[in-house]
Amino acid sequence: MMTRLLSTLAVVAALTTGPALAEESIKIGIPVGLSGANSVVAPSVVQSAELAAEEINASGGILGKQVELVVADDGSGAQGAQRAFDSLVFQDKVNVLISMETSAARNAGLPIVNRGKVPYIYTSFYEGRSCSPWMYVNAWVPEQQVAPIVDHFMKEFSAKTYFLVGSDYAFGRGMLEFTRSYVESKGGTVVGEEYLPMDGSDWTAIISKLKAANPDALITSTAGGAPNVTLTKQLRAAGVNIPYGNLAVDEGTAKAMGADATGIFIAASYITGIDSPENKTFLAAMEKKFGADLKTPNDLSVPQYEAVYLYKAAVEKAGSTDPQAVIDALDEVSFTGPRGSITMNKQRHAPLTMYLGQVQEDGSVSVIQSFSNVDPGEQCPQLAN
Amino acid sequence: MSIVALDILTTAAILFVVASGLMMILGVMKLINFAHGAFLTVGGYAAYLTTQAGISPWLAMPLAGLFGFFAGLIIERVIVRPLYDRPLDAILATWGLGIVIGQLITLGFGREVQFAASPLSGTMALAGIEYSSYRIAASLIALIIAGALTALLYLTRFGLNARAVIMNETLARGLGIDSQKVRALTFGLGAGLACAAGALITPLLSVDPNMGLPWLVNSFMLVLVSGVSIPSLLLASLLLGGAQVLVSTYLSPILGGLTIVVLAALILRINPKGLSLD
Repeated sequence: MMTRLLSTLAVVAALTTGPALAEESIKIGIPVGLSGANSVVAPSVVQSAELAAEEINASGGILGKQVELVVADDGSGAQGAQRAFDSLVFQDKVNVLISMETSAARNAGLPIVNRGKVPYIYTSFYEGRSCSPWMYVNAWVPEQQVAPIVDHFMKEFSAKTYFLVGSDYAFGRGMLEFTRSYVESKGGTVVGEEYLPMDGSDWTAIISKLKAANPDALITSTAGGAPNVTLTKQLRAAGVNIPYGNLAVDEGTAKAMGADATGIFIAASYITGIDSPENKTFLAAMEKKFGADLKTPNDLSVPQYEAVYLYKAAVEKAGSTDPQAVIDALDEVSFTGPRGSITMNKQRHAPLTMYLGQVQEDGSVSVIQSFSNVDPGEQCPQLAN
Repeated sequence: MSIVALDILTTAAILFVVASGLMMILGVMKLINFAHGAFLTVGGYAAYLTTQAGISPWLAMPLAGLFGFFAGLIIERVIVRPLYDRPLDAILATWGLGIVIGQLITLGFGREVQFAASPLSGTMALAGIEYSSYRIAASLIALIIAGALTALLYLTRFGLNARAVIMNETLARGLGIDSQKVRALTFGLGAGLACAAGALITPLLSVDPNMGLPWLVNSFMLVLVSGVSIPSLLLASLLLGGAQVLVSTYLSPILGGLTIVVLAALILRINPKGLSLD
């Protein structure tokens, strides 16, 4: 209802002020994987951006200008991302790009961002060490995520031998590379490390190798969505029941997978069960806006919501949408959202509170332990402030 | 070692079911059905709808097969039959059909991953190995389908007519065989087999609008190598599927993904007739 009212208002405003409105609005470009590997999670990301924009517009916009979202499908991959970034930056001439994407899409988009000199807030957790003078990141990197899972497995299950499975792309390999060095630094051993192409769905041979290696624990890092689902289903069908840490599953996917997801360990900076007033307000607002169409908010969609507010804070601090001024302001502003207070002041990355959770039989995630203000470590020393 | 043997057998069985519909249509109609991947996807969504409707997941496969059969009859009548005299255009039409089906599915169900229930979960002990029950069940179903197809081709009037059309369509028509009817039924059968195969592989996969695509290429290669014969398709599935599992297991799963295509190209280079006996 609210949306319809707002869009009616927007139409009325457009009719009365003519083309001036188009120039006066602030355009936020959202390249996101509506199709392909990220298609499960992308709708929730778009929804949380829509809520942020609606809230900001309802309270007067940014510096008096209304916020307009421009969503483009990047197909979850490099080729689609080149098209999406190119059209957002050079045709739609957006003021900022805020998006959760695969690492393949991000890497393909960055040269375009650098060429177009547009601020870019990347809101997806990723393998780390992606640096650009135009980019900020408000989600976690391996340094923040892997440690809680491995530490828990070593302490609770005395797990010494680990088997790693991933999708063959930057995130999959980057996360598992870090996991391997972390496991080894803690005295464990990695007895196998296997990858399947991103669009692969037949994990048979890898699962047989896993069973032959007989490890104490399994850690996976696939692309979100389809590969995660096919791997988990086939693991369960093959009777793999060792402690299973999944570095890429979100609550929504876990819920949809049903019984197969039960028992999976995840480490995340956002879990719907976070007990804070900001989170409760956020969840209630999402519920009110989307009702039955609501996609469960998750660790990929909430940073998107917060990033829109971080951009707002930076523009207000800079006093304009001038790209360089906004970039300079972005590491000084903070926003207290569902995940707590976020400041991207650590070499373009943000210290975060991390939660270790386990998927329950009903698909919900229960928090086992939380770790506050985990540092992202050395990510982009050349961009240190 | 023996777990690899089971992997090979089950992979081959699944490949056989997935490719059989394509082979039937190629044999009788001399038509490469590029909508095969989309038919597999339709089968996956049929399984998803079966789950949604609360029907036993065991019925997903026969229901998908029936739906595919009737949809195939309609598609043959409307799209394929007017193009019998223009084989190249007919192939292009099936390709376009595949795209249309994919987009219709996207419109109807969205791009996101859906989930279908599995009729069997967990593992069973086989020769001392704990192995996925569903993969074993799927392999048995594949064997039943191979048997049923053989019986259909060699023990029924329709099979006799179909074989006659495969061998020499002009002569068959001269002998009073209604080749148009044989073609229509074959297309329905091929589409039905493809949908049933889609429903069969769904419990191992996720249901999304592109789920059939990777299987289209492999089925195409298998059928090119095997020619039109059930035993040689079984042999091709075992050979190429086995090679895929071996390469994935002992070299790398990434190379494994290429094995079927590369090996098929090599076989056809050495012997253009592939594995077919005639």
